[in-house]
Amino acid sequence: MGYKRRRFQLRSNGNSTFTLNITSMTDMFTIMLVFLLQTYSTSEVQITPEAGMSLPLSSIETSPTKALKVSLTKDQLKIEDKVIAKLSGGEFSSQDVDNRDSNFIKPLFAELEKAAKENPSEQVKDGNVMMLADSSLSYQTIRKVMYTASMAGFPKLKMATVAGE
Amino acid sequence: MGRYKPKIHSNYEFELDLAPLLAVMVKLVPVLLISSAFVQVMMIETDLPQAVKEAIARQDDKKMASIQLDISQKNGIRIIVEEQGKQQVESVPNKSEGQYDLETLHAQLTKIKIAHPEVFRIELAPEPNVAYKDIVKIMDEARRARDRNITFPVQDSKTGKQIETNYMFPDVAFVNMMEG
Repeated sequence: MGYKRRRFQLRSNGNSTFTLNITSMTDMFTIMLVFLLQTYSTSEVQITPEAGMSLPLSSIETSPTKALKVSLTKDQLKIEDKVIAKLSGGEFSSQDVDNRDSNFIKPLFAELEKAAKENPSEQVKDGNVMMLADSSLSYQTIRKVMYTASMAGFPKLKMATVAGE
Repeated sequence: MGRYKPKIHSNYEFELDLAPLLAVMVKLVPVLLISSAFVQVMMIETDLPQAVKEAIARQDDKKMASIQLDISQKNGIRIIVEEQGKQQVESVPNKSEGQYDLETLHAQLTKIKIAHPEVFRIELAPEPNVAYKDIVKIMDEARRARDRNITFPVQDSKTGKQIETNYMFPDVAFVNMMEG
């Protein structure tokens, strides 16, 4: 009696086909598609707040328009993507504030004046500035930015908020 | 002769080919994921219907009542209405938890708006320690009447007709911005 040793082979039917059940996957994609279409924004200007910044909630339904972007977080003040001044505990450091006028932020004024000269676009000419400020900041800090911006020829201040409530 | 009856296979099953639909979705989902904004940023400004805008422009010419809100974190909100030299002050004290009483503020402002439908501007004078988010909330309360049944008459200068709006005080100015 001879026992022939054979190599293990997976049983397979030569010409078998199988169909993948994609119904559940289609379900999932349909839900995702509906959700994404719902959240899709048709606004002409997309504004991305800084990391860690929480904008105040507002019931206003006005979409943002083009304007010079000034971001104010608890740590720093930025114009577009350029850091202008550092803040500690939501307060400007004394070297950035004018000695005679406590509401005047020297580097912000210089940078806004420069932006007005270098950027001849319509929104800068009209003095439009969009302020993205952290909701936890006090009016004292916000006022300094508003004051300096109006002194630099940007009196049309727009406040960025998050839709809600 | 029997009436024709179509043959119906009661146990007949067929599979819908979902593959093309799935292919479309697989392409659409990444496109929407990239382009969608999950945080909808809005903007506070005085973008208003034309008649309301004109009414705001007109109020600069006439001598109208001025409405000022003094906001204090400790004492709440004071509404100061000044008309022809007379000053009327109404207080909205904070709630027991120390929060602003926004419901009472809204009710008071609605009353003032009914008495002065021609005024659209409100002047804010927050104390330095008032949080930015609270100022935005107060601006929200003053902007338009929450009750849709309450409307205020506005005269359209072009057509001469009277139209109704639910905007109360959309034109906000910070009066103490320039103070030292």
